[in-house]
Amino acid sequence: MSARIAGMGAVCSVGGTVAETFDALCAGRSGLRPLVGFDPSRYRARSAYEVADRAPGTDLPYRATHLLETAIAEAVRQAGIGDDLAAVPVLVGTGLRELRSVELWWRDGLGVDATRLHFGTALRERFGATDVHTVANACSASLHTLALGADLIDADEADTVVVAGVDVLTESMFGLLDRFNQEPPDRVRPFDRNRRGVLMGDGAAAVVLRRDRDGDEPAPLVRLRAVGLNCDATHVTAPDPRGIAAAITQAHRAAGLKAADVDLVLLHGTGTVLNDDAESAAMTAAFGEHVGSPVMTAIKSMTGHTSGASGLLGVVVATESLRSGLVPPTPGLDDPAEPALSFRFAGGAAQRPVAMSVAQVNAFGFGGVNAVAILERRP
Amino acid sequence: MSAAPQTRPGMAITGVGLAVPGVDDPADLRTGGWQPTAPAVDPAARLGRRGLRYKDRATQLALCAARDALADALVLTEDGPTVDPESVAVVVSSNLGNLDTVCRVADTIGAEGVSGTSPMDLPNASSNVIASSVAIRFGLRGPNLTVCNGAPSGLDAVRWATRLIAAGRAELAVVVGVETDNEVVRRLLGPGPHFDGAAAVVVEAAGPAAARGIAARAELGRYVRAADLAGCLRELGPEPPETSWCLPDGLADEPLTGAVTRIPDSAAATGVLQCVVAAVRADAGTVRAVAGSRHGAGTAVLELRPAGAVPARTAPAGHTVAAAG
Repeated sequence: MSARIAGMGAVCSVGGTVAETFDALCAGRSGLRPLVGFDPSRYRARSAYEVADRAPGTDLPYRATHLLETAIAEAVRQAGIGDDLAAVPVLVGTGLRELRSVELWWRDGLGVDATRLHFGTALRERFGATDVHTVANACSASLHTLALGADLIDADEADTVVVAGVDVLTESMFGLLDRFNQEPPDRVRPFDRNRRGVLMGDGAAAVVLRRDRDGDEPAPLVRLRAVGLNCDATHVTAPDPRGIAAAITQAHRAAGLKAADVDLVLLHGTGTVLNDDAESAAMTAAFGEHVGSPVMTAIKSMTGHTSGASGLLGVVVATESLRSGLVPPTPGLDDPAEPALSFRFAGGAAQRPVAMSVAQVNAFGFGGVNAVAILERRP
Repeated sequence: MSAAPQTRPGMAITGVGLAVPGVDDPADLRTGGWQPTAPAVDPAARLGRRGLRYKDRATQLALCAARDALADALVLTEDGPTVDPESVAVVVSSNLGNLDTVCRVADTIGAEGVSGTSPMDLPNASSNVIASSVAIRFGLRGPNLTVCNGAPSGLDAVRWATRLIAAGRAELAVVVGVETDNEVVRRLLGPGPHFDGAAAVVVEAAGPAAARGIAARAELGRYVRAADLAGCLRELGPEPPETSWCLPDGLADEPLTGAVTRIPDSAAATGVLQCVVAAVRADAGTVRAVAGSRHGAGTAVLELRPAGAVPARTAPAGHTVAAAG
C-alpha cells in the first residue's frame, strides 16, 4: 500500500482533538462518567464513556453526525487540504449510523429525516462532499473503510481519501449489551482477570490518506502498509479465534513483514471474557513465539467501546505513538487473565519514549467481521 | 475537479436472485413483472424454517435472494461450493433493514427497562447482521461489507464488490440489496406500501468466470458518482449508440434524452434490482442504471451491457470444492 497518514482528527470522552485525546490516554485518564443521555433507572449499568456535549438527562439528535464533522474538520485542517471535499471520497465506518436519532424520533417524538440516517447529506452540506460512503460494519467498520480508502489510492482512483469512523451510544445497543453482561461492569477492564464486560463510548476519528511521495512531508512520516479483512462466518455475535488469526496473518503478509517485526499492538480489547480470550488465542496463534515481543495496549479501558469509531481511533493513537515513542497504558488491567499472561502490556503513565517502527491495530465486530491494520513509521 | 470516470474492464454479473413479491423468476422482469399488490414473500416457504428463527425479516429476504444468485452462478451446487469460500465476499445494501428491531427494543427499554429485552435481539441491533448472516449461512469468509448509503446505496454496493475483487481481496462477491416494509418504515417514509424484498447478483471478473465455465449475464462498465444526475452526465460524456436508462420511480430523468425504463423505488435495494433487470434483458445495448437522491447528496450511475440470452445452466460435473474445514 502506498498511502501516508497526512492528517488526523479525533473526539471521544477523554478529548476533543487528537492532541487532547492522546495526552489524556498517555496520562491514563478515563472518560467514564454516570450516564448522561439516557434515563439510568432503565438499566443495570449506570455509567458510560460519553462525550460531554449535553446537559444531564437530555439527549439530542444527530450527535454522531456532529462528532464526525468535528473529527473530519480537524483531519483536513491538519492535512492542509482545505475544507472543500467536492473531489475527495469520504468513507465513513460506523456500527450504529444515526440509529440514536431514530430512537429519539420513534419513542420520544423528536424529528428525524430519513436522508440523514447515513452521513452523505450532512457532509455534502458541511464540506461539499458528493462521494460519501457510509459503511455499517459493526465494531470494525472504520478499519474496513480504511482498507477501502487505501485500495482506491492503490488503484489510482484517488490521490486523497478521507476515512472516518463514528458512533454514539444507542439505547438499543447499550441496553442489549447491559442485558447480556452477567453483572454490570464497573468499568472496561480489557484482559484483566476481573473484567465484567463492555461499556460503550461515544467517539469519532478521521484520517486523511494521501498517495505516498517521498520528500513532500516532514519526518517522521507514518504510512499505512496494509489492512487485512475477512469474515469468520461462524456466529452473529461470538468471535472465532481462527478467523481473527487469519486476518492478522493476512495483514502481515500484505505488509510484507513478519509477526516478529511488529513493535506495538493496539488490541481490540473490549473487556468481555469471550472477546478478550478469542483475541488472546488469535494473537498467540498468529505471533507464535513472538507474542511476548511487541508492546500492547487496549485503549477501550479509557474510551469505552466506541464501536465503529474504535478501529480508526486505534490508528490515530498508534500513529501518535509511532511519532512520539509514547504508548498509553491500560488502566484497570492489574492481573492479566490466563490467555494473555505472556503479553507485554504498556506500563504506567510515567514511561519513557521507545523507538518503534511498526504498529498493528486490531478491530473485530459482530458477525465475525475482522480487520487488522499495519502502520509503519519511516525515519 | 472529480477524478475521471472509473473503468472496470472485465467485471461481470454471473448470477442473479430475487425475493420480490409477485416475481417468480428474474426473467419475468424483462416485461415489467412488478405486482405491487402481490402477496409478501414467505422466506420459510423458500428456504425451509430451519435457521430462520430470530432472524429479522430483512435478513430472511436477503438469504432467499443470495441463495438463488449463488446457485445461478453455480457457486453453490447440491454437492457443495465450487469456489474457495475464503475468496467470496458479501456486500449488502440496506437503509432500513434493522430499524424495526432498534425501535422495538427502545420501546421495551422505555416501558420495562433492560430486563424486558431479549438477548436474541442483540445481533439484530447491529446494522451488519444481514451481511454476516449471509456469510454464516453459506460459509463465505471473504470480506463482508454493509453499505447503508441512502438512495445510491445499491449501485455503490456493486461498485465496492468490484473494488474488493480488483484489489485482490476476493475472487467473487455476492451483492444483496434488501429493504422491508413495516410500521417503522411507514411512519418514517409515509403510508406505503414500500418495497419488501431483496435482489442479489454475483459479481466476478469475466476471465475467471469463463475459466470456470460460466457465461456472463451482463458486463459491468463504468461507475460514476456526483452530486446529481447532471454531474454524472458531465463525467460520463456522450451516450454511446443504443444506450437506455433505468431509473427508480420518482427520480427526475432530466436532462436525459434516451429511452428510460422505470422500476419501483426500492431504497437501498434499487441499484441491485436494476442490475438484475439489466442482466435478464435479452437485447443488446448499454443500460445506464441511475440511483440517487433528489436532494443533491449523491447520485450514482453504473453502466451495464447485457449479454443477451444466456443458456440454461447445469453444474459442471466433478467441479466442486471439498467443504472447507
